[in-house]
Amino acid sequence: MKAKIKKEHLSLIFDILKRSHRVIGPRLSENAIVMGEIDFHDIPAGYKDSQCPGFYRLLPGSDQSTKCFGARPSTQQVECSGSSIFSFSNGADSFKRFLNPPSQEIFTFKKSKGETLINSCFKEEMPVAFMAMRACDISALKLYDKIFLEGTVIDAGYKSLRKDLIVIAVNCTHPGDNCFCYSMGTGPEAKNGFDIAITELDDSLLIETETARGTNLLKELPFEEASEEDTNKKLLLISECIKRIKKSVRFDELPMLIYKNLEHPRWANIAQRDLECGNCTQVCPTCFCNSSYDYVQLPGISKKPFEIAGTKIRVWDSCFSRRFARVHGGNFRTSRKAKYRHWMSHKLAYMLDQFGMSGCVGCGRCITWCPAGIDITEELEALRK
Amino acid sequence: MYDKMVPFEAEVEWIRRETRDTATYALKISNKDIQKAYKYRPGQFNMLYMPGIGESPISISSSPMDADITHTIRVAGDVTTHISKLNAGDKIYIRGPFGSGWPIEEIEDRDLIIIAGGLGIAPLRSVIRYILSDIRQIKSKQFRASTGSRVILYGAKTPKDIIFRDEFPIYRDAFNIYLTVDKADPEEYWKGELGLITGLFDKISFNPLNAVIFMCGPEAMTHAAIKELISKGVPGEKIFLSMERNMNCGVGICGHCFFGPKFTCKDGPVFRFTDIESFLSIKEL
Repeated sequence: MKAKIKKEHLSLIFDILKRSHRVIGPRLSENAIVMGEIDFHDIPAGYKDSQCPGFYRLLPGSDQSTKCFGARPSTQQVECSGSSIFSFSNGADSFKRFLNPPSQEIFTFKKSKGETLINSCFKEEMPVAFMAMRACDISALKLYDKIFLEGTVIDAGYKSLRKDLIVIAVNCTHPGDNCFCYSMGTGPEAKNGFDIAITELDDSLLIETETARGTNLLKELPFEEASEEDTNKKLLLISECIKRIKKSVRFDELPMLIYKNLEHPRWANIAQRDLECGNCTQVCPTCFCNSSYDYVQLPGISKKPFEIAGTKIRVWDSCFSRRFARVHGGNFRTSRKAKYRHWMSHKLAYMLDQFGMSGCVGCGRCITWCPAGIDITEELEALRK
Repeated sequence: MYDKMVPFEAEVEWIRRETRDTATYALKISNKDIQKAYKYRPGQFNMLYMPGIGESPISISSSPMDADITHTIRVAGDVTTHISKLNAGDKIYIRGPFGSGWPIEEIEDRDLIIIAGGLGIAPLRSVIRYILSDIRQIKSKQFRASTGSRVILYGAKTPKDIIFRDEFPIYRDAFNIYLTVDKADPEEYWKGELGLITGLFDKISFNPLNAVIFMCGPEAMTHAAIKELISKGVPGEKIFLSMERNMNCGVGICGHCFFGPKFTCKDGPVFRFTDIESFLSIKEL
């Protein structure tokens, strides 16, 4: 179903969602756009960001005093965004931490003289709604479904959060400087995987629904029919957006480009710049690797006597961390070259084999948040030589 | 089905010391329902859990036909050190079974060559015992009728490091066994071979085109053995090897055990050689 609502009626969507869901979306925090529980007023409307490899600065919109917070100049002149709401692009944060929390309890254990009790920590939580989710992140969500729901086991925590998830997508009309979703085939238009997709037109919001839940939500809003002109306007905005995307990869050459070049000298070159910090893995919306640890309590905290008690906790891990591939008597990946190669190959080649989907969705976060400014699109291009 | 993410209790029924640092632990699942639902294939592994210490992936060394689930464990890290302190009657926690297992259906009417190095015999004991009990059972004709010859090639550091030594006489009912060690103490009586496991290949006669190979051991050994076998004309599709990586979740959601695009925990640990051939030669993949 297609319809049009006034821009101020966006707040009504929040009201409807908040009846049953926690609304998660972009908001401002410390001069950056982060994800969190938000209300209509928290949307950083009109803000723009300037991104280069290893560089991120938030720029207030034209209605506020425009000033650059950073010392490093942007590669692009910031254009006036008018009264646009969704003129910002992705920040470091993605939606992944709300479905796959950075730290989650798996089970508790309590060992006393006679017995040991192990109890699962799974509990139903309030469902979430994602506001202003971009097409790239929706692709990442599809990949997460394959990992956590279609594998050998179903991850109970993910499943319960995913079941009632509402996705309010926003079609990108202002690409970020490091975006390359178009060449990855994931954006900038959200084609499916949402309940409602919003396209910001000049004075209204074009709403498309994919699910019955989305349609019901739309019916509660004061909408008017969308004309053919509006649809054409949307297509025009998206095609203009595509033209402004500066980075690209040759997707059709994947995964063979990687498989053929696992011994390419470029990997050693990257290793000279790589800091092994793991930022790329933390900001990547598809990186899912984790480690489980036993967190042991000090005996005596509990009233009942026990020998040992604690919690099994699953935390995000990174293939750049030192212990990641360790086994007794050795480590399968110790050099930076091998670690970066593993990360990039996993994104651009292995996941295509494992899940039938690219592990890279073209959001460009790893480029922006790499302190060394390593650009995955450049490195991929360098492998061709 | 039971939850494969939360460990369940098992009791250590008996412990048998194999060598100075290795022992076999027989476990019995406490919960009757899980006991019934718990089915495994030779070559699969369990995550053994010691509360407060951690989890460790350990291959199952018993056959599904055996009464107990056994694990043969060498003391290597924190978890295995704590397991080595257990006594019969103590409790341990397990998740599993995980992994692909040995392709038993490939053996039928073929020459089976089992190549094991060191503790690598543990997951292969599962398949050895499976075949033995299958042969003894009159009903099942899968391997009784099989005409192929069966060979075990086993290499260890020293004669003292040979695991399952007591069971070899039983294995000889169905297998020809060839042993080799890196170094034999001159004061000890040793009538087996000395040197690398590839040196045993000339001792055995088999039809390379009709052979199927099950292999587990240190990577240096498996690489050398595969090279030798391929040069003898064994098709790569018929070579299966069990790999070692640090499985952390066992179900393909933690990412620790990637071997190229393969999850060692769910696609492996037993791989067909041709499926991973292109990645084996790459260092630190």
